[in-house]
Amino acid sequence: MLSDRASLSLRIAAGLGLLFLHLPIALIFLYAFTTEERSYAFPPPGLTTKWFAVAWQRPDIWEAFWLSLQVAAIATALALVLGTLVSAAMSKARFFGREQISLLILLPIALPGVITGIALRTAFGEMGIPFSTLTIILGHATFCIVIVYNNAVARFRRLSGGILEASADLGANAFQTFRHVLLPNLGTALLAGGMLAFALSFDEVIVTTFTAGQQSTIPIWMLEELIRPRQRPVTNVVAMLVFAATFIPILLAYYLTRNGSDVAGSGK
Amino acid sequence: MPAAVEFAQVTRHFGNVRAVDGVDLTIAEGSFFAMLGPSGSGKTTCLRLISGFESPTTGTIRIFGEDVSTTPPHLRNVNTVFQDYALFPHMNVRDNVAYGLMVKGIGKTQRHEKAEEMLSLVKLSGYGDRKPGQLSGGQRQRVALARALVNEPRVLLLDEPLGALDLKLREAMQDELKALQQRLGITFVFVTHDQHEALSMADSLAVFNEGKIAQIGTPEAVYNRPATRFVADFVGSSNVLPPALTRALGGPDEWASLRPEVTRLAATGPVTATVTALRYLGSGTRVVLDMGGTELAAIVPAGQPLPEPGTQTAIAFDPAALHIMAGA
Repeated sequence: MLSDRASLSLRIAAGLGLLFLHLPIALIFLYAFTTEERSYAFPPPGLTTKWFAVAWQRPDIWEAFWLSLQVAAIATALALVLGTLVSAAMSKARFFGREQISLLILLPIALPGVITGIALRTAFGEMGIPFSTLTIILGHATFCIVIVYNNAVARFRRLSGGILEASADLGANAFQTFRHVLLPNLGTALLAGGMLAFALSFDEVIVTTFTAGQQSTIPIWMLEELIRPRQRPVTNVVAMLVFAATFIPILLAYYLTRNGSDVAGSGK
Repeated sequence: MPAAVEFAQVTRHFGNVRAVDGVDLTIAEGSFFAMLGPSGSGKTTCLRLISGFESPTTGTIRIFGEDVSTTPPHLRNVNTVFQDYALFPHMNVRDNVAYGLMVKGIGKTQRHEKAEEMLSLVKLSGYGDRKPGQLSGGQRQRVALARALVNEPRVLLLDEPLGALDLKLREAMQDELKALQQRLGITFVFVTHDQHEALSMADSLAVFNEGKIAQIGTPEAVYNRPATRFVADFVGSSNVLPPALTRALGGPDEWASLRPEVTRLAATGPVTATVTALRYLGSGTRVVLDMGGTELAAIVPAGQPLPEPGTQTAIAFDPAALHIMAGA
């Protein structure tokens, strides 16, 4: 039987676990405000907000930021179109080898980033495609598609297949069915999938390392910046930015899909 | 006047499977027509051929005289009540019902007014703001009905609409559907695997077996004069007598059917049988007999003495009740 109050030792263990997970994040935030720019001494000798101003004026940060934003947005858009189409095909059609193809679609997310990275780098090299923003986008799209696909396919499964036929039966053409029936039922799943894909792309390091040319996305910029001894807290300021840019979409996606059963499955 | 629905040598193949195999069918306007058969017999495919979700491999389908063999579903003036209702989960009941009018471009006030009218027709006034998820199975069924009727179809198709309801609700809905059909005067085409439902509701019915129509006729004709062994067995749970047994019981050398409720137990007769089982039905008891390898059933009304399983008995019946199946 479960007691209402957890035992003291259990609560201490849970507290330590949470501390282990979240203390490093808190420290990152703390050092964004430190006055010491060369090393992360504890406790910080003083607190300041000047690094935000410094970060704001550094063109290399802006450049990396815009590149990350561009890559994440285009990779997500690509994934939304392709992922939705694949999930629609996989949930509507029954054909030989369907399970195997489903596995192939999911594989990129299961593969270590190093493998995906090397594979893409070799492929791009073989095809003579120069490493550029485009190659980063294509690299990111490989796993973004999986995220969108997973969200959309789960929703398709819950949708009673009859509603598309019902719409046509009542006189709606294909566009009206898409607009009034399919999209409202897929909408939150696609939004959630898109935001997760965006967040994943925004802080991706490994595949980016293999597929980028000279340009740096925000995580790559941070990696390079940590080696330099000057203006270290600027990196922490940027880390906070990345945290916000990835955490907020993930949180929203969670809330959007949490009550998904009310949205899509209640007709059954 | 052309028939509401007409099939001329319609065939629908799925790969090697002949789901519908050379069906000729005429459904009169304003009738309540049932398509009865076991699962996989082609009845649902026929319904989908009328609604347009399937197109015939060969043959012609006419709706009120117009060849619709290649017309897509959204351009046909028929509507369907789907088996699982297929209500739009993201819309409230009013918008569900008004959907057919919305896609036609009819304004909000007008279509909502019409939707309310339809909802009151199916006795769901006041439910317009609810979501389908908040309704019971019976209520969803009514919403599906109202939604299908809002476009004023000339033919309404119903795909096992009562299958998901419990027995009591099902019987109530049978009466209601029948009354609604008579009031609206439109043609209802109803698919079911439940012979009681088909017999009690339909003006005429088609019995499907393996993609073909085994028999078309009024419920009475199909029940009393089954054309084939399959119909006798499926529709009436009738006793099917092989030619030798028919002759032994005083008939011609042909396949015949004999309904259990006209079969009585008797002390003596030309052929004796062994009682193998008794099944209590409430209004009577079904006595299962083994007559020289042929299984027969007789209904003994409640209150009359019952034989013990394992004992010998003979049967008696009115010779006029023995139906000879020339087509078997």
